[in-house]
Amino acid sequence: MNENSRSGEGTDMDVQQAAAIIEESGERARRALYVRRPVLFGIWGLAFLVCYGACWLSVLGQRPYTGPTPAALLTLTIVVAAAYAATVVLVGRAGMGVGGRSALQRRIMLMAYFCAYVGLFVLEAALDHAGASRAVLGVYGAAAPLLLAGVVAAAASALALDWWLFGLGIWLLVLAAGSGWAGPVNVWAVDALAVSLALLALAAIGFRRSRA
Amino acid sequence: MSQDELDPVIHVPARLRIVVTLATLPDGNNLSFTRLQDVIGLTPGNLITHLRKLEEAGYVTTVKSGSGVTARTAVSLTQDGRAALDRYTTVLRQLLDSATPSVPGQG
Repeated sequence: MNENSRSGEGTDMDVQQAAAIIEESGERARRALYVRRPVLFGIWGLAFLVCYGACWLSVLGQRPYTGPTPAALLTLTIVVAAAYAATVVLVGRAGMGVGGRSALQRRIMLMAYFCAYVGLFVLEAALDHAGASRAVLGVYGAAAPLLLAGVVAAAASALALDWWLFGLGIWLLVLAAGSGWAGPVNVWAVDALAVSLALLALAAIGFRRSRA
Repeated sequence: MSQDELDPVIHVPARLRIVVTLATLPDGNNLSFTRLQDVIGLTPGNLITHLRKLEEAGYVTTVKSGSGVTARTAVSLTQDGRAALDRYTTVLRQLLDSATPSVPGQG
């Protein structure tokens, strides 16, 4: 396609061509300017499985319960950092050059999420300081991040008007409230499976819909 | 231009691409000139020419900010531009429907 035909000025365009351009340009813009959610769901689904799975394996059979081992916590830190870096790259690439209300909303949401996450750790330290047992801290450490992630997902779904994301948020809230009943050891296994399967299922559904 | 005619400002391949690309962003968002150029694949000169026509029609706004290496030109679709694209797609659909021969026994 030469430059003149690409510019389109002075060329005849029939209605079929116009319809094809609308379809093709819209699809190309959505691919370029929006984060591919299925990829993010896949990344975080695997990250959850590895992190919570490693913590569960490290506390399995502990008598008395002492909490995840340093090796499991190191694995968790590395995997979460890698997943976060991948998320930053994907979100940054899609948001490059996009300004205005959405970019501001994204920044506010990230700041709120970061503050809340720091708050979780400060509260855990306060519980430890107040004499909470290792078992209580174990249940809190596994379930509380899900409570936060669930609230964030449900709130973000309202901005994006996305019922799938709302469903994920509610699922995370249900897990956060319910998985603690499995005890400080099995809470890790329940959350590892229930969260990662939900995220990987959403990734698979998203990929299938994008190919349809 | 009557209600059943395709808007001649938009009915040009490059300008249709620009308007559709900007319309994929939610209201209140804008796209930098360089990113728009990257997504659509036009040369800067061509893009400037088409943006000027769209701006004259009141369909897009361009806002320059910063200077030197921080210079940024933000392009956004106006309410009129979004409404014009809606009208354009409605008329286009009607034309496509009227051009499609009806199949006996269907519809």
